[in-house]
Amino acid sequence: MNMVPTIGIETHVELNTNSKMFCKCAVVETENPNESLCPTCLGLPGALPVPNLKAIESITMLALSANCAITKNGMFHRKNYFYPDLPKNYQISQFDLPVGVDGSIEIILNETKEIVEIERVHMEEDTGKSIHKGSGRIDSATSTLLDFNRSGVPLVEIVTKPVIKSSKEAVSYIEELRQLVIDLKISEGKLEKGNLRFDANISVAQEGDNELGVKVEIKNMNSLRSLEKAIDYEIKRQTKLIESNEVIIQETRHWDEDKEVTSSMRSKEGSADYRYFSDPDLPNMILSDEFIDNIKKTIPILPSEKRDKLSETGLSISESNYLSKSEEWIYDLFLKTQKITNDTKSTFNLITGELQGQLRKAGTEELPEWFTSERLSEIIKMINENKISFTSGKEILTNLIKNEIIPTKYAEDNNLIQDNDSDEIAKIVQNVIESNKEVVERIKDGEEKLVGFLVGQIIKSSKGNINPSIAKDLLLKEL
Amino acid sequence: MNIANLSISEISNLYKNKELKPSEVYKEVFTNASLSESIIHAHLKLFQDEATEASKLSDERYAKGNPLSDIDGIPIAIKDNINLKNHETTCSSKMLSNYVSPYDATVITKLRNNGVVFTGKTNLDEFAMGSSTENSAFGPTKNPWNPEHVPGGSSGGSAAVVSVGSAIASLGSDTGGSIRQPASFCGVVGFKPTYGTVSRYGLVAFASSLDQIGPITNSVEDAKILYNSIKGHDPLDATSIKESTVEIPTDKNAKIGVIKELMEEGISDESKKEVEKTIKLLEENGNKVVEVSLPLTKMALSIYYLIAPAECSANLSRFDGVRYGIREAGATSYEMMENTRAEGFGEEVKKRILLGTYALSAGYYDAYYGQALKARSAITKDFENIFKEVDYLISPTTPTPAFKFGEKTENPLEMYMSDLCTIPANLAGIPAISIPTGLSKEDMPLSIQLMSPARTDSSLLEFSETIEKLLGFNQRTLLLEDMK
Repeated sequence: MNMVPTIGIETHVELNTNSKMFCKCAVVETENPNESLCPTCLGLPGALPVPNLKAIESITMLALSANCAITKNGMFHRKNYFYPDLPKNYQISQFDLPVGVDGSIEIILNETKEIVEIERVHMEEDTGKSIHKGSGRIDSATSTLLDFNRSGVPLVEIVTKPVIKSSKEAVSYIEELRQLVIDLKISEGKLEKGNLRFDANISVAQEGDNELGVKVEIKNMNSLRSLEKAIDYEIKRQTKLIESNEVIIQETRHWDEDKEVTSSMRSKEGSADYRYFSDPDLPNMILSDEFIDNIKKTIPILPSEKRDKLSETGLSISESNYLSKSEEWIYDLFLKTQKITNDTKSTFNLITGELQGQLRKAGTEELPEWFTSERLSEIIKMINENKISFTSGKEILTNLIKNEIIPTKYAEDNNLIQDNDSDEIAKIVQNVIESNKEVVERIKDGEEKLVGFLVGQIIKSSKGNINPSIAKDLLLKEL
Repeated sequence: MNIANLSISEISNLYKNKELKPSEVYKEVFTNASLSESIIHAHLKLFQDEATEASKLSDERYAKGNPLSDIDGIPIAIKDNINLKNHETTCSSKMLSNYVSPYDATVITKLRNNGVVFTGKTNLDEFAMGSSTENSAFGPTKNPWNPEHVPGGSSGGSAAVVSVGSAIASLGSDTGGSIRQPASFCGVVGFKPTYGTVSRYGLVAFASSLDQIGPITNSVEDAKILYNSIKGHDPLDATSIKESTVEIPTDKNAKIGVIKELMEEGISDESKKEVEKTIKLLEENGNKVVEVSLPLTKMALSIYYLIAPAECSANLSRFDGVRYGIREAGATSYEMMENTRAEGFGEEVKKRILLGTYALSAGYYDAYYGQALKARSAITKDFENIFKEVDYLISPTTPTPAFKFGEKTENPLEMYMSDLCTIPANLAGIPAISIPTGLSKEDMPLSIQLMSPARTDSSLLEFSETIEKLLGFNQRTLLLEDMK
């Protein structure tokens, strides 16, 4: 029988606001515990929450960008549960009236566009951090240290509908969401810093079944790699259980990064009753048409729109996807340069290959001011018109990163202009054939890869001034 | 001259004319406190050194002719569920018996900036849950008119200290009548402002959508002065409303409605008589008085006992022994939290947390809490409609005068009934005031309650002054005279 997995993903995005969600405490990045605290985020008796307008603007922008319907008369709810790092022992969150509902996000899977449907986008506050000593879990810890710096930091939770079909699709979805929050400038979007944290709900059912299988929630996946591995592991585990007619328990499971397995955390049967009710400390969240319109005006070009623009230049979907997830300046440089050169392929290859490679080597992510699309186009044109070799092109590029040069002038000054005089080349080709008679024989016997060796000899004899493709053509003709 | 019986404006004028000094007034109220405390136990803590110091600083300001405000140097007591920096805020609970607040409530900041002298913290029913102060973990407060009677609650301490003269005025909090009911029982004025006009920041929450801080004073004028110095929009309280007052008639043109349902069974004849007496005075004054019906007020108690416990069940979750307050050891974190809450909370608090947790539980929410919310909106609507016909509503503040200790502790429903007339104003968020009117057969104070539309607080206070004058009742407890 054929098994079909169904996956839903809940992602928490930490916003990049200066202050916390319900108080004026700064959001800090520090190893020193309990530095940024006040009565409100520490849950002292009598303290009250006041919503952060910036955070509400950010979530509205995200919900709009994810094509959600906006709840104009929403509210905050209290989610009640006891945990030592939750200062009030309830979390201010949203329940049946979240900021955004019924949205969709376009993702790229290999060479196709897919749509991941979004169930809801809601606002909540983060908890503090617990450090359990003597064991990783609270029940068996000998002591627990609490750091409330994170307590009250604004979080947006984005929940997909159960529509994801594979671990690869899940990874692609997170990559897309990450790019979206970065482009919207509402989060740093750094997975390694916990700016994006995700849980996956996974079930497996037999193909053709109308109902989904028993849902298992997986927590503690800290990277895209662990997301992919955990989902694959869980699909296999559940498939095996079904195939051997065993029962799958609805539960929450913990991904063990070292052992690369999931293990049971708690059963969802008799699951927590969070006793949601609207928070009487906070008025309803009224998002007026004017507010929503103003947010719409500030939404920058989205990754999916970038891809469409890139595709128009002739790039493939995956190439467009690659550039849509690169730095803003790379995307701009590509579009401007492509417009001048009108050569999509070479422009893409030079920028994503040679240029990015050289910058990575140089340990920089920025280009100097003089590095314009015009100057880059000169290099690409010279290569394409066989005026210079690719090797020379690389050399000019390296120099352009370091110094303010004009590529055409640099090529002339440094004798990099190729000799494209066929007669001259023909002489060199003849010489090479004559002095490598043994190799020529082997080529004729079928060792075609030795052609490259001869081309190399030709270029060497010309001191690099011969275009390799011309050299190869002439060589093959002579042979 | 009995200084403690003077009004705030009288004292303020004497200060300005250099006929009296804040330190002298403080000395007087402190003496009253030292005499009365052993009998009535109204203060949980007296700030003798700090208050003496503060009153002397106030002396200097008046000497230089630079008082901070008209209430500079006025000794005021604070209910112990309002945070005062560097002092305990116990809420009369064992849970917070060792808790020292690191911050001032917004009302305290305002009073501090006005030069008020804080006399101390007053007793209450634990976390403001109760109607007699019998639920205080530190022992009950006694009624200064007769220590065999309760002072009411939950702000029993705040009402008693004003009544006995160990403070000129006090702050209380009112969730279902906790300012008005004890004020009524102790023969003083108690005012619950429109929800949101006074910041709740720093008031330890019982039921956030109902809680409101307000003054307890000797006269309506004092209540007005104190209210004006604590009100105002507070950026730290999201439910605080922006200053926008509505005015309604405060003279002969004011039309008064008598709530039929609060003049029926369950209300003692003595309490009804006070309303009738006031109606007569108003009619003589030229005001029109009509009977109105608010049938839903009969459901107010049931609505209240779903909404208030539901909110309190979440509000009191934070008391877990993790960050502050007492801590009872346990084998695991959860056991520690359980033991702490079992040990730290009293019976009434536990009862309400359980009630609220139940009302919010999956499967019961719609039947209980959800219904209560709907009924609450209906009551609010009813009030809005009735206020299209009349300007003010009159009723007794309490069904009976102050009852005796132990009389109602065995029967919680009867105890809850003592808030019958006060709860509707909290549900509707409207302002309400209790004005003393006379004495019962047993020489215990009686009163009437006056309510008005939301945001008409100033008009309500002004009209209440007229009623106070018409009544002409200004008798005081003779407790201290008897002792001296």
